[in-house]
Amino acid sequence: MTVKDAVYQVNDVLHRYAVEPVLRIDALAIPQAAIVGLIGPNGSGKSTLLRLLGFVEKPSRGEILFKGRPAAPFSKAVRFKVTLLSQEPYLMRRSVIKNIAYGLELRGSRDHLRSRVAEALSWLGLPAEVFADRQWSELSGGEAQRVALAARLVLRPEVLLLDEPTASVDAVSVERIKAAALKARNEWGTTLLIASHDWQWLYEVCDEVLQLFNGQLVGPGRMNIVLGPWQARPDGYWQKVLSGGQEIVTTAPPAADAVAVVDSDKIMVVDAFGSGRQRKNILKGTISRLVLEKGSRNIVATILVDTMPFAVMVPPKRVESLNLCPGREIDIYFSPNSVKWIHQGDNTHPNKSGL
Amino acid sequence: MDFILTGFRMAIELLLHGDAETYSAIFVTVRVSSYSMTVSLLIGVPLGFVLGYFRFPGRKQLRVVVDTLLSLPTVFIGLVVYAFLSQQGPLGEWGLLFTLPGIAIGQTILALPVVMALSASAVENMDRQLRVTLISLGVNRRQLLLSSLWEVRHGVLAAALTAYGRVMTEVGISMMVGGNIKWHTRTMTTAIALETNKGLFAMGVALGLVLLAIAFAVNVSVSCLRKRV
Repeated sequence: MTVKDAVYQVNDVLHRYAVEPVLRIDALAIPQAAIVGLIGPNGSGKSTLLRLLGFVEKPSRGEILFKGRPAAPFSKAVRFKVTLLSQEPYLMRRSVIKNIAYGLELRGSRDHLRSRVAEALSWLGLPAEVFADRQWSELSGGEAQRVALAARLVLRPEVLLLDEPTASVDAVSVERIKAAALKARNEWGTTLLIASHDWQWLYEVCDEVLQLFNGQLVGPGRMNIVLGPWQARPDGYWQKVLSGGQEIVTTAPPAADAVAVVDSDKIMVVDAFGSGRQRKNILKGTISRLVLEKGSRNIVATILVDTMPFAVMVPPKRVESLNLCPGREIDIYFSPNSVKWIHQGDNTHPNKSGL
Repeated sequence: MDFILTGFRMAIELLLHGDAETYSAIFVTVRVSSYSMTVSLLIGVPLGFVLGYFRFPGRKQLRVVVDTLLSLPTVFIGLVVYAFLSQQGPLGEWGLLFTLPGIAIGQTILALPVVMALSASAVENMDRQLRVTLISLGVNRRQLLLSSLWEVRHGVLAAALTAYGRVMTEVGISMMVGGNIKWHTRTMTTAIALETNKGLFAMGVALGLVLLAIAFAVNVSVSCLRKRV
């Protein structure tokens, strides 16, 4: 992908709050009209990355190109094109209609305001005759989240950044929010970046899912992260003992507290119980869910090993032949040599990603 | 006890019959407090916003100074302003001693820290997501500041109300800088102090009732305004 094709090009970005770096991305390109998911534990840098891509903050170092040109907060190139819905959206102390019309008024687009606001509300399943004149304080959490999204969608943005849009809202709101976000992409070609803990949704709708950990891009979202500490074994390997007593065996880590990364492609589902038990890293688990990945059309199986979830990529035919279904016990295997490492203090970890 | 009840009865009569001396004190008070509130809001709200919104070297120290000035005694302000405006003072040639603008200067000094500190607190307590939201919706820098200020309007109103309360009820500045001159610089509070000293409670009670009525009217107005905006 050339820089021209990318809506975003992130080059050597480092962002810090106070002294501590919270995000470091060497290179990242986001193509136009893509749906990109961001997953990672709390504090992994998802929200920070979205704020930088939303040009709400300027990175401490490095540059972010928007459509091939450097852009910064308040710059004309991005002000009316990129919009961010943060995890806890803020509704201004005014009515719903004024909240949604605010962005349109900033753009000098004042024609048919009421009907456009009504249309945006309808995308989120909120009847205008009921909600348009309500005050911000008269909305539930889910309604406020939907109004906040309507205020973004009414702008028909080129890029919509959603930070945990379905966290802490009711089931009806979740469905409405998901549908409205996809509508933006399907009808206007909006580029969507979605940070969420809802793996299932991201795998279903995203062209690519990126995983962040400790402020770094680990790779595609199918990576499994295993935290240390690691203990040396007499046979030269290292291990981590899970809560149920099973052992994850690896080659020597760069440090005892290093973080292991196991690609879901490198993990195999093993059919027969007990076969090859003498091999390392045959772990017994239970399938908790199966999700069809949009891009590869493969099935992503989440398998709970003791209490640790492993994402495993399984071809659909294999799912059928092994009769995999949630609740079934299964063995998984990966070679100790397939484990890659992130050292917590290592800022030189390669994290280049181009979609 | 009788003299208090008699005072109340006579106070109502003074107000109903439009007693000139009583109404002079009321008008002087409203006039001078309007001057001082206008100036202190024009200066204090922007400064309070800057103090609460921006992070700059020395901000915390400045905040401590402003908070300390909240408890400035009115007689001390009166003393300082008197010293500056008196014939021997550096601003003596302006001829503002024993005038309403002179009192207004003192009351502005009294109200300014109140407006600044409470406006700054309102801005500091503003939801940090507001900034993210406004930038996400496409504001420029000027719109960001104006919209942020509009979002904390209730806090600023509360600051103005508190400052107005202090200005309306102060005695020290009006007495020292204004001189309590009948028909000219006699405010409600200085009139109450004088009449009480003379043992004439009626006018004092009447003015006290008016002070209460003004405070009530201002609070009701602000409450209505708050609901509408």
